[in-house]
Amino acid sequence: MATLNKQAQKKIWAFLALGTFVGLLLLPLFLSLPAGASGGAPAPAASTAPPVAQPADAKPVEKSRDIWYKTEGPVVGAPAPKTTDGPKDYPRYNFESRVLLWVANQQHLYYGSFVLAVPIFCMVIEYLGIITKDKALARKYDQLAYDFIKISLTAYSLTAILGGILVFTYLTLYPTFFGYLASIFRPVMHTYALLFVAESGTLYIYYYGWDRMREGFLKWVHVSMSVVLNMIGTVLMMLANSWIAFMQSPAGVDDQGRYLGNIWHVIHTTLWNPINVHRIIGNMAFGGGVVAAYAAYRFLTAKTDEERAHYDWMGYVAMFIGVCFLIPLPFAGYWLMREVYAYRQQMGITLMGGLLAWLFIIQAVMIGSLFLTTNYYLWQGLERMRGAERYQKYIKYMVFVLITCFIVWLTPHTMVMTPGELKAMGGQQHPVLGNYGVMSAKNGAINTIITTTVLSFIMYQRGNKVPTVKWAPMGNAFLFGMFTVAYINIIGLAIYGYYIPANVRVGLSVPQVATTLSCLFIGVLLNSIMLKGAKELGPTAWGQVSVRSQYALIMLATAFTWMMGLMGYIRSSVRLFWHVNEIMRDNSPWAFTHTIGFAANMISFNVLFFWITILFVFWLGSLGIKKAPVAASVGQKVPVPAGSH
Amino acid sequence: MDVILQMLSGKLVEGYMPIQMLWEMGGCALLFIAVFHYLGKKGIKVNKLAQATGLFLFSIVYFTIRIYPPIPFSVRAIYAVMTLIGIFMWVSSTNESWNDFRKPIFAVADGTTAATRMIRMVSVILLPFLVGFLSYNSMKPSADEPIELRTVHPAPPASTKVHGKTFVLQTSNSPYRVDDDGKYSNEVQKKYTDGNPWDEKAPPYMQYVREGGQIFFQNCHFCHGDNLNGRGMFAFAFNPIPANFTDAGTIAQLQETFVFWRVAKGGIGLPREAFPWASVMPPWEQHLTVDEIWKVVLFEYWHTGYYPRTWD
Repeated sequence: MATLNKQAQKKIWAFLALGTFVGLLLLPLFLSLPAGASGGAPAPAASTAPPVAQPADAKPVEKSRDIWYKTEGPVVGAPAPKTTDGPKDYPRYNFESRVLLWVANQQHLYYGSFVLAVPIFCMVIEYLGIITKDKALARKYDQLAYDFIKISLTAYSLTAILGGILVFTYLTLYPTFFGYLASIFRPVMHTYALLFVAESGTLYIYYYGWDRMREGFLKWVHVSMSVVLNMIGTVLMMLANSWIAFMQSPAGVDDQGRYLGNIWHVIHTTLWNPINVHRIIGNMAFGGGVVAAYAAYRFLTAKTDEERAHYDWMGYVAMFIGVCFLIPLPFAGYWLMREVYAYRQQMGITLMGGLLAWLFIIQAVMIGSLFLTTNYYLWQGLERMRGAERYQKYIKYMVFVLITCFIVWLTPHTMVMTPGELKAMGGQQHPVLGNYGVMSAKNGAINTIITTTVLSFIMYQRGNKVPTVKWAPMGNAFLFGMFTVAYINIIGLAIYGYYIPANVRVGLSVPQVATTLSCLFIGVLLNSIMLKGAKELGPTAWGQVSVRSQYALIMLATAFTWMMGLMGYIRSSVRLFWHVNEIMRDNSPWAFTHTIGFAANMISFNVLFFWITILFVFWLGSLGIKKAPVAASVGQKVPVPAGSH
Repeated sequence: MDVILQMLSGKLVEGYMPIQMLWEMGGCALLFIAVFHYLGKKGIKVNKLAQATGLFLFSIVYFTIRIYPPIPFSVRAIYAVMTLIGIFMWVSSTNESWNDFRKPIFAVADGTTAATRMIRMVSVILLPFLVGFLSYNSMKPSADEPIELRTVHPAPPASTKVHGKTFVLQTSNSPYRVDDDGKYSNEVQKKYTDGNPWDEKAPPYMQYVREGGQIFFQNCHFCHGDNLNGRGMFAFAFNPIPANFTDAGTIAQLQETFVFWRVAKGGIGLPREAFPWASVMPPWEQHLTVDEIWKVVLFEYWHTGYYPRTWD
C-alpha cells in the first residue's frame, strides 16, 4: 500500500512538474498577446480608453479603415515609409542585396523546417515504442526516435545561427522595411524570441533526459514533453508565417499602412492559415526526405550487415512518413492557391498563367519526379523480400503508365519554340499536344500517377506474403475492381472535362481526388487486414537492397529541397515590386523579377549549400554515436509502418 | 465505330488525336513487350541494352514523324528525356535485368574478346569526335530567330477603363449574358447551345449573339477566321498567327472580363509581363463601343461552345 502511495505521489509530482513547465512555457504568449503594439508613431489613446477621459483640447483619435477586414480602428502606427533608392533605405555592399537576403532566408527556412518536422516524427515513433507490447520492437522504435532527435539537435543550433544571420541581413540591408515590419509586429517578434528560448529548453531536456526518463511513468512524461515541444514549434512557425502572410496579403492596417491597433488582424491575414497548413505538411514531407537521405548516407557508408539492416529500415520508415505527407500536400497547395485567387485575381494569374507560370512547369517536373522516385524505391524494395519476384513482372506496365502520365503532366500549355517552329505548327497551340496543356488533362495525369503509386505500395506490402484469410479471393477481386473503376473514373472525368464549363470542370477534381484517396485509404487498409496472419514466402532481408534504392532516397530528398526552394521563391516573388503588397513599394534597384534561369541557378545554389552543410551535420551526428544501433540482423522481423511486415 | 476504324487504319482522326496518341503509345509498348516475350519463348534472348536502345530510338521516330503538325524541339526533348528515365526505371527495376543491361557495357569496357576490344577501340576514337561535333553544333552561329518565352495570358489589371467607364475585372459581368427575364445568368448559354440566332422571336440572349456575330464578321474574322480557329485570310501574314478560340487553351480558360479587356486594349495594351508583346491586335475600343465589345465576346463563347471561366 505504502509503495502504491509512493508511486501515486510520484505521479502527482510528475504531473505537477509537467503542468508548471507547460504553464511557464506558455506564459510569454499570454502576457504579450493583449499588449498590442504601439507602432512607430506616438500613440494616441487606445480604443479601450474611456472617451470621457479626454480633455477638451486633446486631439481627437484619428480613425481609419482596415484594408482587408474593412473595420474601423484607431490609427496607432506611422504610414508605411516611402523608400528611395539610396544608402538610407537600402544600404548595400557592391552586390545585389536581394540575393544575399534570399540565401539567408532560404537556409534558415531549410533548417527551420527540418528541426520543426523531426520532433513530430520523434513524438509519433516514441509513442509507438511505448504502446508496443513486444519489448524488442519497442526498443527499436525508441532507438529510431533517438536517432531522429540526435540529427535534429545539431541542426537546431545551426537554425538559430542562420536566424541570427537573417535578422542581421535584414537590419543592415533593408533597415527601413524591417523597421516598418518590426513596428507592427513588435509583440509578435518578442513572443517569437521567448518561445524560441522555451523551445530550446524543452528540446535540450527532451534529448538529454532520454536515458533518465526511460522507464515507467517518467517515459510518459518524456513523450508528453515532445507534445509540448511540438506545440511550441508549431506556434513559432505560425508566428513567423504571419510576417510573410502580412507581406503578401496585408490586413490590420489602413491603405497607407498605418497600424490600427488590432494585432490579431495583422497576424490573421487571409493567407495566414493556408500558408500554415501548407507549411506544416510540407515540413513533414521535407523532414522525412532529409532523414531518409541521412539513413541512405549511413547505409552507403556502413561497414557491417547490422548497420546496413538498421539504416535500410530507418530509410524506409522516413521515406514512408515523407510520402504520407507528400500526398495531402497538393490539396493544401490547392487551398492556398484558391485563397490567393480569391484575394487578388492578378496575383493568381501571375502565378499560374502569367509571369511565373514557367516556374510551375518546373514544379510539375519536381512533383512528377518525386512520385516516380517513390515508385522506383518501392520496386527496389521488392528485392529484399523472398517471394516478391512474382510481382516484378508488372513493373514494366506500371513504368509505362507513369511515364505516359508524366508526359501529359509535363506538356506545357504554351510551348517554347522558335518562330520557325511556330509557323510550321500554324499557331501557338498544338492541335494534339495543346490538349495536354490544360487542367483537365493534368488532373487526370496526376491522379493516375498517385493511384499507381498506391498500387505499387500495395504490391510492396504483399511482397513476401500470401493472404490466408477465407475471404482473400473476394478481397482480391474487390481490390482489382476498385482500382479498375478508379482508373476508368479518373481518366473518364478528365476527358469529360473538355466538354463542360470551367466552373463545373474545376469541380470535377473533387471526385477525381476522392477516387484517388479512396484507393489510398480503402486499398491500403483492406490489404493490411487481408495480410493479418498471412503466409510468409520468405523473410524480409533488411539491408539486402540495391544501392540504387538508396540513391533514390537521396534523389527524393534533393527533389524535396529543390521544390521547397522553388515554391518559396514563387510565393515570395509574386509580390513583384512590393515589400508589402499594395502598401509599401520596393524602390531598391532589385525590385524586378529575376529571369527563370537566374532563379533556377539560385535555387540550385541554395540546395547545394544546404546539402553540403547538412552532410556536415550528418558527419557530426556519426561522431557522437555512443549507442550502437539495435541490431536488426538480416532476416529478422522489424517493425514497419502500415502493418506491411 | 467509324472513329475506331479510322484510328486503326493509321489516320489521325480530327477531334480524337490526343487520346489516339496515348492509345498508340500504349499499343506500341504492348507490341514491344509481346515481341520480346515471343522471342524469349523461342529461345532468342535479346539483351536488355538492345531492347532499351530499340525502344528509345522508336520513341524518337514516333514523336518526330508520327504527330502532325511537328512537335517543337523543346517538347520533343522533354519527351525523349522522359522516355529515357522510363527506360532506366524499367531496366534497373530488378538486379537480374540491371545486370543483363550492364553486361555488354562491361564487356566492352573490359575488352574480354576481340570483338569487344574492337568496339572499345572504335568508341574511344569516335568519342572525342562526337564531343567535338556536339560542341561545334552548339557553338555554330545561327541565323534563326531566338526562342521566346511568351506569356500568352498575362495577369490582367484589377480594373480597366473603357470609354470612360471603369470595369473591375474580378466582379464585372457581361450585360448581355442574360436569361429571358433580362437577368445575368451563367446557365443561359447552355440553354441556347443549339438556339437559332436568326429566329425573329429569338430570346434576348440569342439576339445579342446574332449582333455579336455581325460585329465579328465585320471586324474580326479577317484574322480570327470564319470558324474562329485563328486561320482567317490575313492570319498567316502574322507571326504568331491570331488566337484560335476553338482551342481548349484560349478563351475557354479565361473569364469573360479578361477577354473583354484584351479585345478593348489589343496588343498595344498588353502589360509589361507579356513581353515581347507579339500581338498586332488593334485596341478595339477605338473602333467599337463597350456594348459591341461585350456582344462580340458573347458571340465567341456561344459559337465555340466554350463557357467563360467563373469563380463560383
